[in-house]
Amino acid sequence: MNRKAGSRVGSVMLGLFALVMLVPLYLVIVNAFKPESAIRQRPFSAAPGVLSTDHLRAALSSPDYNIIKAFGVTVMFVVLVNVLSLALAGPAAYVIARGTRRWHKGMLLVFLAGLFIPGQVLVIPVIYVLRFTGLMGTIPGFVLYEATLTLPLSMFLFVGYIKSIPRELDEAAQIDGAGRLRTFWQVIFPLMQPVVVTAIVLHTIGVWTDFVNPQIVLGPTSGLYTVMTGVYSAIGLHTTDLSVVYPTLLLAIAPVLIFFVIMQRKIVGGLTAGATKG
Amino acid sequence: MRPSNATLTASGPSDNPPVQERPRRTQHTPPRPLRVRAARSLSSIFMVGPALAAVVAFILIPVVVAGRLSFTDWDGFSDSYKSLGLDNYVQLFHDPGVKNAAYVTLVIAVVGTVACNVLGLGLAVMLNGEGRVKAILRGLFFYPHVLGAVIIGFLWSAILSSEGAINTLLSAAHRSKIPFLSDPHWALASVVFVVIWSTFGVNVVLYLAGLQTIPESLLEAARIDGASRWQTFRQVVLPMLAPTVTINVVLVLVQLLRVYDLVLAMTDGGPAGHTQTYAYLVLSESFLNGKIGYASAQSIVLMIVITVLAIVVVALRQRSEKAVEQ
Repeated sequence: MNRKAGSRVGSVMLGLFALVMLVPLYLVIVNAFKPESAIRQRPFSAAPGVLSTDHLRAALSSPDYNIIKAFGVTVMFVVLVNVLSLALAGPAAYVIARGTRRWHKGMLLVFLAGLFIPGQVLVIPVIYVLRFTGLMGTIPGFVLYEATLTLPLSMFLFVGYIKSIPRELDEAAQIDGAGRLRTFWQVIFPLMQPVVVTAIVLHTIGVWTDFVNPQIVLGPTSGLYTVMTGVYSAIGLHTTDLSVVYPTLLLAIAPVLIFFVIMQRKIVGGLTAGATKG
Repeated sequence: MRPSNATLTASGPSDNPPVQERPRRTQHTPPRPLRVRAARSLSSIFMVGPALAAVVAFILIPVVVAGRLSFTDWDGFSDSYKSLGLDNYVQLFHDPGVKNAAYVTLVIAVVGTVACNVLGLGLAVMLNGEGRVKAILRGLFFYPHVLGAVIIGFLWSAILSSEGAINTLLSAAHRSKIPFLSDPHWALASVVFVVIWSTFGVNVVLYLAGLQTIPESLLEAARIDGASRWQTFRQVVLPMLAPTVTINVVLVLVQLLRVYDLVLAMTDGGPAGHTQTYAYLVLSESFLNGKIGYASAQSIVLMIVITVLAIVVVALRQRSEKAVEQ
């Protein structure tokens, strides 16, 4: 009896939580198709009479914010950062995980220290490093910086994982005449698939949702904006005009949400795997 | 080969042709492994070097630069700047703006960390196991993480503003509006709510991962011993989850101490600075006003606070984990 009543209360609570999670999403979807007056009068209504795609189309062709371009730029950054991050972190994690000397441990600490340094602390002085190297406001500069920010987490995940791969495999490859770099990429790296998926998932979400770094490192003069910085400048000007706000938000989140629904198992599963490995 | 070399060196250096100088210097280490070792350390440098260089250039050097700038009055443009010693740090501790931002950040971090962990653990226990509905709910609690804080901020400001969805509903029902974003206390509460709304999903996922590591046999043993659900949770599940609790507390705390984008989009620090977080102060107030030196001092303090808090939490949790074991 008691147990049954308890589980019914639980179900009701879960239902309420689900509702609180869903209402904002519902409002974005419904109100993206309504004119300003309808949004203001009856925000929750989805009466077919007032629905139109005009505002969505207006947001799509907004002069201050090209959403298609923002998506292209953001996807490009996500891909470049992930590739660079793997290329940098993989071999380094391999050497450190296989190393037995004190400097290997010290090196790992240097990488892990980055986990405690918040982006807000870095972004001001990073500008001066980027200016010094002539990379400020450029794509290579931004990608290099953003990929560097992924390294502490990658090293944390990779080093632990590589240690669980038997050394005999390395030795066999080396007896067959492979160098260490080849041993890593051809023997060890393919075995790291689960942890690499986790890293890619986390870095992709990180780069996708990052606002501060693209806003400041790329800067307005570069003419490059990501979905986050683009939405910020597009909505920042019209915060009170809800017939601009809702369609812009819907366009920005629809592709990500579709991607998330398809990839949900991988994304949530990757996080779970990463958590238990830690 | 080697023994003959040894005799040669023993017979006297003057007899040696220059080619044979090398083996003599490294008498104790045979030449071949040396070459292998040199190749090994060369390949180590080649493999670790780029990653290390990136971290040094874009993380370590900037921290040092920030530390250096925090003792100056540099505005970011001038060719010269004065060294101020500790003035920026002294000013920081007397600055009412900093005090206010520290208070706002503390409220968000403390309330948010407690709420996200209670919700995360509770929902994880309810959602543990197989089932379609459970899988969908897991995704539902997590999805804000892929949206981005800027978008979440704009979205909730459209819902909570005085002309927003909820207040429209209230006035349609002839009730008075709630000043979610325009009253100082309501605004901070709203920000805390949205921070929790967008964060706890990751805790659900992490606690689910922790629950999966608890061996089924332990739970079964408790059941056979006649333990109630609550007793099983209290006596078996919670102690086993101790390391997961530590990870969750540290992760959320560190994240909530740097809330910025969400506040920027949702309230822009308002009304009158009542939702201005510390990170907002550093980036929007000090930095954009050209107070680079002062902003650097503020950011160094943030870094120290985060590091110290993380270490304290881990140390406290380790002590309680040990206490549980005994």
